[in-house]
Amino acid sequence: MTDRAMRLLKGEPVDRTPLFPFILGFCAKNAGYPIATIYSDPQKSFDLQLWTHEQYDFDWGPIYGYASYGTWEFGGEIRMPTATYEQAPFHTRFPVEGEQDVPGLRLPDPRTAGCLPLSMEFSRLQEKHGKPISIVCGGNFTIAGNVCSVETLCRWMLKKPDLVHSIMRLTTDHIVDIVRYWSDVFSAERVIPQMWEPLAANIIISPKQFEKFVFPYIKESSEKILAMGVKHILYHICGDQNKNLPYWSQIPMGGPGLCSFGLEVDLLAAIEYLGSRNVIIGNIDPKAYLNETPKQIYGLCREALEKGRSAPRGFMLSSGCEIPPEAPPYHVYQMHKAIKDSATSG
Amino acid sequence: MDSVETEKEILRGLGDAVIAYDEEKTVELAKMALEKGIDPSDAILKGLAVGMEEVGRLYEKQEYFVPELLLCADAMNAALDVLKPHIKLETQSKPFSVVIGTVEGDIHEIGKNLVRIMYEAAGWTVYDLGADVKIPRFLEEQKRTGADVVAISSLMTMSMLAIPEVIKPIKAYDPGITVMVGGAPLTREMAMAYGADGFALNCGTAVKETLEALGRVKGRP
Repeated sequence: MTDRAMRLLKGEPVDRTPLFPFILGFCAKNAGYPIATIYSDPQKSFDLQLWTHEQYDFDWGPIYGYASYGTWEFGGEIRMPTATYEQAPFHTRFPVEGEQDVPGLRLPDPRTAGCLPLSMEFSRLQEKHGKPISIVCGGNFTIAGNVCSVETLCRWMLKKPDLVHSIMRLTTDHIVDIVRYWSDVFSAERVIPQMWEPLAANIIISPKQFEKFVFPYIKESSEKILAMGVKHILYHICGDQNKNLPYWSQIPMGGPGLCSFGLEVDLLAAIEYLGSRNVIIGNIDPKAYLNETPKQIYGLCREALEKGRSAPRGFMLSSGCEIPPEAPPYHVYQMHKAIKDSATSG
Repeated sequence: MDSVETEKEILRGLGDAVIAYDEEKTVELAKMALEKGIDPSDAILKGLAVGMEEVGRLYEKQEYFVPELLLCADAMNAALDVLKPHIKLETQSKPFSVVIGTVEGDIHEIGKNLVRIMYEAAGWTVYDLGADVKIPRFLEEQKRTGADVVAISSLMTMSMLAIPEVIKPIKAYDPGITVMVGGAPLTREMAMAYGADGFALNCGTAVKETLEALGRVKGRP
């Protein structure tokens, strides 16, 4: 983390808006490595991200994580992205393939399960380089989807809600276990957990379903994590979650928390609901980096920066989800250019 | 109640039971339809499909979400299992057929599955290739089946780059094959730039959009 981002978290004035990286596969491509390197080799992954962050002047550190988190850790199988069009690790077998598998689910050991040893190796590099120890530990509901498949989870929400609650109990306890382990190793105040919740989007579930199956669990794990002494939690509120915002606004995320949004949530709405207690991060359309002109991307960034000015606890410019690995480098640079120009023009 | 009234009641009941995702009821009414001598094709197209069309509308209006939609489809499919064996071959009406799949490099298939459900509900024949479908498979399957439409889905910004590579050989083989594209990272403009004939933002509009694209490509309604 740069001093700039640190100052923002402390509520101190900053010389310009910090630039927050949501950029993984691009970092590998940028330095001539296969995308899988980002997920399979902590040292190289860290270096690749660090080089790209330096090149584009990002204000946060490298991270290790992916959206399919939970499948491997709960006993299923994943595959690293190796083929031409693959972007991130993906499941090849879910740990729960039917109702009969739920009672057999066990809490994973955060020291040994799935990708967590790789993640710990990565966090030791974060510590060594003075970067935020920012561990991606899924999202309570998204892990549940990665345990039994989204479609099964959706069907059970209406037909067998007890099974969903059983899985949510485990994913919630697992997240708390991870953060406790990380806090034991690095001390809680240095750990900044990240939770990504794409599956809780309203393109999949209703706000009522969010209230019943997601909200109480996220609130619980957040409270437990903050009680450990963790200062900031980052939530990536991915996709269209407009109808969930009233619930998200009740979740404690630290002082301040960090909320990253997809392009589907207007930054002004994000600020209205969550800006009083959290730094708002977002939310340039990821596909714009591929399809729009540099001028258009620059315009989107300036627009976001303008909206971000009204965020009481601060704003960091970022993409709304991962920047496409195939994005032209000059397009990525537009974020930094817009920030510089915005700082100059006031 | 006369037989016409009874038939109307059963057809309406089938649609309502789909909307209420009441699987037991759809099966019960499907059996009743057969007992009363209702043409099973009518039970499907004037009963189940009408209900599923309303489900699509409710999804578009964000009154229904994926959990409801999946259970509605389950209720429809349970009734289809009862009705389909009784459809006489000569009365089978299959307006169109579609090859559908999630493109190479992408294992996300919930969106594709929801669109498949809507095609099935509209009485289409669907050849579902699944997810992470290698580029040549789409055309191979179209050649095998003679499908009117190829529908390609993608959720990732990386995998969506494979879509034009799927479309090129299809259009080179036969420009009359209608190609549809859908998925969260895509827009209509991108779909057109990739060479597709149509784009559907979500499953609620997929059938309507495909029919319009078919009309443009083949001059069919």
